[in-house]
Amino acid sequence: MKQGVTGSAAAGLTIVSRDAREHGADVRPLSLSLYARLFRYTRACAAKRNVLFVTVLLRAGQSAVIPWMMASTINGPIRNGDWLGLLRWLTALALFTLFTQVTLHFRQRLAFELGESVVHDLRRDLFRHMMEMPMSYFNRTRPGLLINRFTSDVEAVRNGVQNVVFASLVNLGGMLVAAGFMVYYDRGLFLVVLATAPILWGLNRIFRTRLSQAHRAVQESFSRVTATVSESVRGVRVTQSFNRWARNAQMFHDLVFDHSWFNIRVTQTESLYLPLMDLNGQFFLAALLILGGYRVLYGVGTTTIGDLVQFFFLAGTFFNPIHSLANHYNQALTAMASAERIFRFLDTPPDWTEPPADGRSPVTEGQVELDGVSFAYVPDRPVLRNLSFSVKPGASVALVGPTGSGKTTLLHLIAKFYIPTAGVLRIDGRDIVTLNGGDLRRSYGIVLQQNFLFSGTVLDNIRMGRPEATESEVREAARRLDCLDVFDALPNGLQTRVGEQGAGISLGERQLICFARAMLVNPRILLLDEATSAVDALTEARLQAALERLLVGRTSFVIAHRLSTVRNADRILVLDRGRLVEDGTHRDLVRRDGLYARLYREFMLAQSEETIRKKNRRAGDSVRPQ
Amino acid sequence: MGGKDRCRLGSGWLWVQEDVKDEDRAHTGEETGNWPVIRRLLDLTWRYRLACIRMIVFHFVLLGLTVLSLGMTGRGIDYIRHAISVSEGRVPPPSWPFGLAPPAHWPPMAVLFLLGGIIVLLALIRSVVTYLNNLNSVRLTQQGLVVDLRAAVYDKLQRLSFRFFDDKASGTLITRVTSDVQNVRLFVDGVVVQTFIFSASALTYFWYMFRIHRGLTLLSLTVWPFIALGSSVFSRKVKKAYRKNRDLTDEMILGVSEQIQGMYVTKGFSREADAEARFAARNAAVRNQKFLIFQFVTIYGPSMELLTRLTVLGVLAYGGWLTFHGQLPLGEGLIVFLGLLQRLTDQVNVLTTITDSVQQSLTSARRLFEILDMEPEVRSPPQPVRRRLGGKIRFEHVSFCYTPGALVLEDIHFEVQPGECIGILGGTGAGKSTLLSLIPRFYDVTGGCVFLDDVDVRRLDLDALRRQVGFVFQESFLFSNTVAANIAFGRPEATRGDIERAARLACAHEFIQAMPQGYDTVLYEGGGNLSGGQRQRLALARAILLEPPILLLDDPTAAVDAETEHEILEAIESARAGRTTFLVTHRMHALGRMDRILVLHRGRQVQWGTHEELMAVRGPYRRAARIQLGDMLDVSAGLGGSAA
Repeated sequence: MKQGVTGSAAAGLTIVSRDAREHGADVRPLSLSLYARLFRYTRACAAKRNVLFVTVLLRAGQSAVIPWMMASTINGPIRNGDWLGLLRWLTALALFTLFTQVTLHFRQRLAFELGESVVHDLRRDLFRHMMEMPMSYFNRTRPGLLINRFTSDVEAVRNGVQNVVFASLVNLGGMLVAAGFMVYYDRGLFLVVLATAPILWGLNRIFRTRLSQAHRAVQESFSRVTATVSESVRGVRVTQSFNRWARNAQMFHDLVFDHSWFNIRVTQTESLYLPLMDLNGQFFLAALLILGGYRVLYGVGTTTIGDLVQFFFLAGTFFNPIHSLANHYNQALTAMASAERIFRFLDTPPDWTEPPADGRSPVTEGQVELDGVSFAYVPDRPVLRNLSFSVKPGASVALVGPTGSGKTTLLHLIAKFYIPTAGVLRIDGRDIVTLNGGDLRRSYGIVLQQNFLFSGTVLDNIRMGRPEATESEVREAARRLDCLDVFDALPNGLQTRVGEQGAGISLGERQLICFARAMLVNPRILLLDEATSAVDALTEARLQAALERLLVGRTSFVIAHRLSTVRNADRILVLDRGRLVEDGTHRDLVRRDGLYARLYREFMLAQSEETIRKKNRRAGDSVRPQ
Repeated sequence: MGGKDRCRLGSGWLWVQEDVKDEDRAHTGEETGNWPVIRRLLDLTWRYRLACIRMIVFHFVLLGLTVLSLGMTGRGIDYIRHAISVSEGRVPPPSWPFGLAPPAHWPPMAVLFLLGGIIVLLALIRSVVTYLNNLNSVRLTQQGLVVDLRAAVYDKLQRLSFRFFDDKASGTLITRVTSDVQNVRLFVDGVVVQTFIFSASALTYFWYMFRIHRGLTLLSLTVWPFIALGSSVFSRKVKKAYRKNRDLTDEMILGVSEQIQGMYVTKGFSREADAEARFAARNAAVRNQKFLIFQFVTIYGPSMELLTRLTVLGVLAYGGWLTFHGQLPLGEGLIVFLGLLQRLTDQVNVLTTITDSVQQSLTSARRLFEILDMEPEVRSPPQPVRRRLGGKIRFEHVSFCYTPGALVLEDIHFEVQPGECIGILGGTGAGKSTLLSLIPRFYDVTGGCVFLDDVDVRRLDLDALRRQVGFVFQESFLFSNTVAANIAFGRPEATRGDIERAARLACAHEFIQAMPQGYDTVLYEGGGNLSGGQRQRLALARAILLEPPILLLDDPTAAVDAETEHEILEAIESARAGRTTFLVTHRMHALGRMDRILVLHRGRQVQWGTHEELMAVRGPYRRAARIQLGDMLDVSAGLGGSAA
């Protein structure tokens, strides 16, 4: 088929098709353990489930009883001209039908509700598990693929529970009861029915593998489609400024077209499979006519024309479900593939296990100590190598180093977003591994590069770390940061709504919000990653001053590129390719004339000669202390 | 087949009703009636009429086969009854279709074999037709409709103006391209075609039943008004519920997606419990609302079925009476009639499915058309000017607002000569990014004019314009592709040599070389495996590769460390040669190198001139400079100290 398309799509807009192979070669037969696990999700509403099973049993019986009653009505009163008998039968049938439909109502409703509840619980567990995953997981996982667990996969499972399982059980039960009736009326003829069983079994076997492979292919290519759309929407501004519409559109078209081929393959397989199953039922009818006719005509056995009529009615109950069973079977495959992915995610252990939370922060002093700490995101590519230092409570530390020297990673380790590959990191003398990350971070104020804001109001975002804070507390925090007027100048002040990814708010404003957010929690330990960079000079100067006051009494680690922050820090740690190369105050380090002094001079050289001259000229004007 | 249809779709139907629609929307708001939407959906169906007709034909064949084989079994039973009671003459012989009775001298078993053979033969034909039909319909839906619709929505999404994305959540946009598209195509195969098939089947069955017995047919008809009434009441009720459900689900998924992106914030502030509670509430809201829908659905379905079942009983009573009086044969009459009625009842389910599908497809179509109809705010003019720009830029009393009444830029007025380098300074919210966005027409001005080479930007060919303007955003989005492909984003045919040259100019070559697979290293979505400075340098390389006469840099050093900032500024220095460059920055030393500086404050142009000019006068520029100069003073003092 059109396999080449995958290749061309892969080379272009995204490589989603390349890395989305997260499900690799995992085509394996349906496993009982998966069923069992899904079944466990019905425990939460066990009563509902049990009633549902009762209605399923009732429905199974009913589905065969009705045709039996109909045939009996025809064979008995109608054939014999028994008018009263007919009315009696029909009244019974009417009552029975009412009963059937009431049962059906509950059967459907309970199955729907059960499915929805299972899905609800699955989503709950997915979310909970997702929250348990450490940051390291999110940094290596495509958001789109993770979201698919919540959308298409959960949807497939829902379909499996709501529309497949119980309907299939009813059908199967109906078949069994119909079989019982048939055995009762004519054992010989029923053997003919049974003769079709091996054929059905064989067909099933042949098509099962093919179908399950095809279904998986569909799902995976669909994941690629959604992931690509997601990325395209996020990158749309770039696309527009680079005129990439046409090409992107072509690639997306190829990707979708590619996906459609997988769909077609599924249909091809199904359309071979289902008609073959159907054909089987027709063979049976023909056989019934010929064999049954023979037995009736020549008086072989005890078959009567009435039995034959019964068989024709029951044959419907017996064969019609096969069609929908086969259909359901396919849906079950899809559901199982999805359930498997969901459970695989649920079974992915977090990179480490957090000790239990007790809701209280373990940080009292804010002392941070590293002892031979090394870290690697990928084995054999260490980002931090053998770091050892100790920071006194309340000290402010500036992290300095070239790009890629591991400053951000160091912050992530202190925040316990990652844990050291080797060595020990202690907070207040206790190994960070023994502390619950959530409890630990209660005492942290963290501002990272991304400046992420949730949709909601500015106020909500600032209150993120302490939702119970009143608006006046928030205003107070903003005042202390000296940026209250910036917030008040927003269209609706603190009530201004923030769109997804903080749209509608400038980068600088976003950063101030992140700052206020961190300050509101009154942290013992402050982690700032290049936090002041996007704020304009005037705002920053105020922020700087406010920060200086706020840093007092808190242990702080700052990756800043404002020299004043670096210079004012109690201590400067200079990192180079993951190693701690220098450690001391600004004055010490400048004197040592090592990497710091070099970086510093480079920074200085960046200033034009002219500017330096100017600034020297204006030295007298300077009002800066120090 | 599909190829031709698709071409027509690509150019045609998206634009067909545009003019009408915009007017419509303006007057009726978002709640447009069903008819315009349905009309458009029908129009869409018409584009695929060939495949649709083929689908209907296949279904007719299938229908005929069903009716034929249904008659066969009844006939078989009657024949057996006739054969065993032939001596008594009580049971009349069955009638044969088209008068094709088997010769009377055939033994009964031969006739039965013939009947059996016909049943099997019909079944075989049926299988083949089913196969062909399924393939036809999947080609129509998945390969024709869905591919075309998805491509159309995607293309539209890409072209929509920035303003559209400013307040749209990406989660809901994804739903447009995925499930909404599927629902819209459902209108074609699930509604239009199914309606045809439904009416045809129902009519056929009726016709056949009518031929068997009029009274019985009329009796079974009585229930249909109730079904019709029930279904219309139902569809009205359920429609609203489904729409609400969709919104709730969107909100929930949006929450998840946002949560993933903001994970570090939640974790950083230990608010996992809150996040879980928020999600739990949304999750439960979806479930509870679904429960309501289930109540509707499960009352509606079974009660409709009850109605039809009761009809069957009526038929049995009346039909029974008729057989007693010899007015109706048992097998070929009553049994076949019941069989037909059964099929008709199945058609009721089809009807329910169709009403369901109508709901779904209308809801989705509304949302899809909303996007397809959206006129990209910024479009090429009808007779665009296409030229190589020299780089002269003039703003003439430009004002701009995102929302009416709230001016973001006001009376901006300046002129820049080719090759000049302009620095822009301003506080947060001063309108710096907005000002840059007006040059490549990401937005159109509200008042005044922007001229490039003395031509109004709105008269330039949009593609050509943007190709000649290199843009580096505050935060640069990189795609999950190789480094090389990211740099070549605007010119995919660029050679490796071009790419490396651009990377070198942007001071990115070195770190790219150090990456595991160099230029072929695959980036995570958004460039997650790069530092901020590296991302910006790649973005700069991406812009430089286009050799643009105009280079716009929106605070590219905002999120990088001092060392990288120095490198980026160096890179800009080398890249700006021969280009008109705008640089938004807060860094005084960078501004000091600019030919001229524009100072913005709350959307107004407060200062405009060279560094020297601005330093000579009291004003925001000098104030900002002094604050930073204070910094540098300390630096030089520190250096001096170390030297001493």
